[in-house]
Amino acid sequence: MRAEVRTLQEAMAREGYIADEAIATALLLTGELGKPLLIEGDAGVGKTEIAKVLARLRETELIRLQCYEGLDVSTALYEWNYPRQMLRVRMSEQEAIDADRMEQAVFGRSYLLERPLLRAITRREGPAVLLIDEIDRADEAFEAFLLEVLSDFQVTIPELGTIRAEHVPYVVLTSNCTREIGDALRRRCLYLHLDHPSLEKEVRIVRSRVPGASEALALQIGRFLQALRARRLARAPGVAESIDWARALVRLHQDHLDGEVVRATLGCVVKDRHDLRDLNTTELGRLVAEARGEVAAP
Amino acid sequence: MSADLVCHLARFAGSLRAAGVRVTVGDEVDALRAVTLADLGDPEDVRLALRCTLKIRPRDAEAFEDLFARHWLQAGRADPLRPPRAEHGPGNPRSSGLVPASPRPVEVEVELPRGDEPGWSRDAILRKKPFEECDDRELARLEQLLARLAERLATRRSRRFVPVRGRGRPDLRRSLRRAVATSGELLSLAHRQRPIETSRLVLVCDTSGSMDPHARFLLAFARALKRVARRTEVFTFNTELVRITSWLSGGQQRSAMEQLAAAVPDWSGGTRIGECLEAFAVRHLEELVDSRTVVLVLSDGLDRGEPERLAAAMQRIQARARRILWLNPLLGDPRYQPTARGMAAALPFVDALLPVHNLESLERLLPRLAP
Repeated sequence: MRAEVRTLQEAMAREGYIADEAIATALLLTGELGKPLLIEGDAGVGKTEIAKVLARLRETELIRLQCYEGLDVSTALYEWNYPRQMLRVRMSEQEAIDADRMEQAVFGRSYLLERPLLRAITRREGPAVLLIDEIDRADEAFEAFLLEVLSDFQVTIPELGTIRAEHVPYVVLTSNCTREIGDALRRRCLYLHLDHPSLEKEVRIVRSRVPGASEALALQIGRFLQALRARRLARAPGVAESIDWARALVRLHQDHLDGEVVRATLGCVVKDRHDLRDLNTTELGRLVAEARGEVAAP
Repeated sequence: MSADLVCHLARFAGSLRAAGVRVTVGDEVDALRAVTLADLGDPEDVRLALRCTLKIRPRDAEAFEDLFARHWLQAGRADPLRPPRAEHGPGNPRSSGLVPASPRPVEVEVELPRGDEPGWSRDAILRKKPFEECDDRELARLEQLLARLAERLATRRSRRFVPVRGRGRPDLRRSLRRAVATSGELLSLAHRQRPIETSRLVLVCDTSGSMDPHARFLLAFARALKRVARRTEVFTFNTELVRITSWLSGGQQRSAMEQLAAAVPDWSGGTRIGECLEAFAVRHLEELVDSRTVVLVLSDGLDRGEPERLAAAMQRIQARARRILWLNPLLGDPRYQPTARGMAAALPFVDALLPVHNLESLERLLPRLAP
């Protein structure tokens, strides 16, 4: 499998995602075993991006379901198109159609609004990538329902009957761990835990995503972010933040970090007011000096 | 696939289970399929495949890496290549004792000196009087007030809609289905509404000597809550955890207290908070606590056990519960600082630390019990 893992890593790198072996292995196994992949990790470590890259690699559609508390079947799976149904019923008032036939007509596929889950299952052109984002935000009732869909890849609509998947989609679930995911759902998936990247990986990511950033700038950003994460902030910045910051600095024509610009752009990275307050000027100066390699990190 | 491989994997899964990592047969099947795809000559390949399919979480990473090194690197091959590194996941949080403080800031509510409220009634004074200073007659009156208070227990509207008769929002889906029978004439609208959810509460009360003056009253509070939120579960602990839910429903307060004194070992003895909460986490957590449950721990945090065990147990409970509130009678004293070892260990995993020393503090607690 090693060779395939390498190939996949390279392919992902071409799409701008620097993946280590664990990520590539997990993605390969998801395809081979036909099981959903559950990715857990802090916000901003690149969980959602994995699904996007997967869709680009497989040259297929990415269907995304964003979870929130109270998410229900009519937003996740399907809904009937009431205005159209109503119109149809009204238009045929003059014709003497009996109730049974009318019901059949009105509850047909063409009156069905497909929501993400149903669309992922019924896609004809080949398997889609289904991203179920932030599953920890949905409640347990939805989790139980999802379990049913993900085990059989079929859904039952009372008016229509059972719809089976044309192609089993690649499913990626992400969670920020704000809530423990139920054991049943966890067991149904393969598992990947994403951590903040190492310095070397972070520099590669910044370089690949922000081509305008010089080697030196990327390295300094990497060091700065690593030092920030080691400080136990209330909200640790992820790779998403380092990319944003690199973009901002490139836009400001910076090729290295300096105290003033860092203070002005710190909002790209530190997004909590208590954290901002804790980082006073001397602290920042020290972090910048360390990042520039002028002072050895403690 | 060879029978050898199957046996080896089963043994590996067995030792993982023995180390406390939850591995099901389904996981083993996944792992087996993945391992047959992997290159058995390449330990790194096997390791990554196993980690992914056995669903190894960061907290189990250390145990996994240990056992992997023993089972797959030394057993099978002569050359244990490089030792596996933990590329993913931080070090096992359990090993470091007190894990980093949870990002959620803990609220500590302390009684603020305020002017007396206008008007006077005997009840108004009683509301502010510390429990331990009340005489028997006052206590009986307090219990009555408490019962009325609990009826105001906070509830919230569910975010989900359910069909209802009569008032509510129009439910188009059902209305239209009905209309089909009358050839499209909407004779009546179906409605749906958000139901009211009541709290699920789990109370874990300390009954050790240092809590003695408060115990009677807190149990009365538990009874009052139980009447309103039926699914309330009550436990007591000092050196051992006892489930007393069934004694609280019906009957007299006194008989509950007597039963308690008879059944709870060492009533008013020393406390082992960590061990008792751990026992709660092992035996009852999955059954009684879910993401809608508010867990209340009533204790002064004066623990004679190991703070690490308390912290680990609190972390497990916090991961599952909607909210975990620590009610501490000592907080009524403005000079009190939560520095007792047990209290300090538990604090990072508590959503709010609140005083319970008089009726007024219980009153202020009610909104926080919303599901």
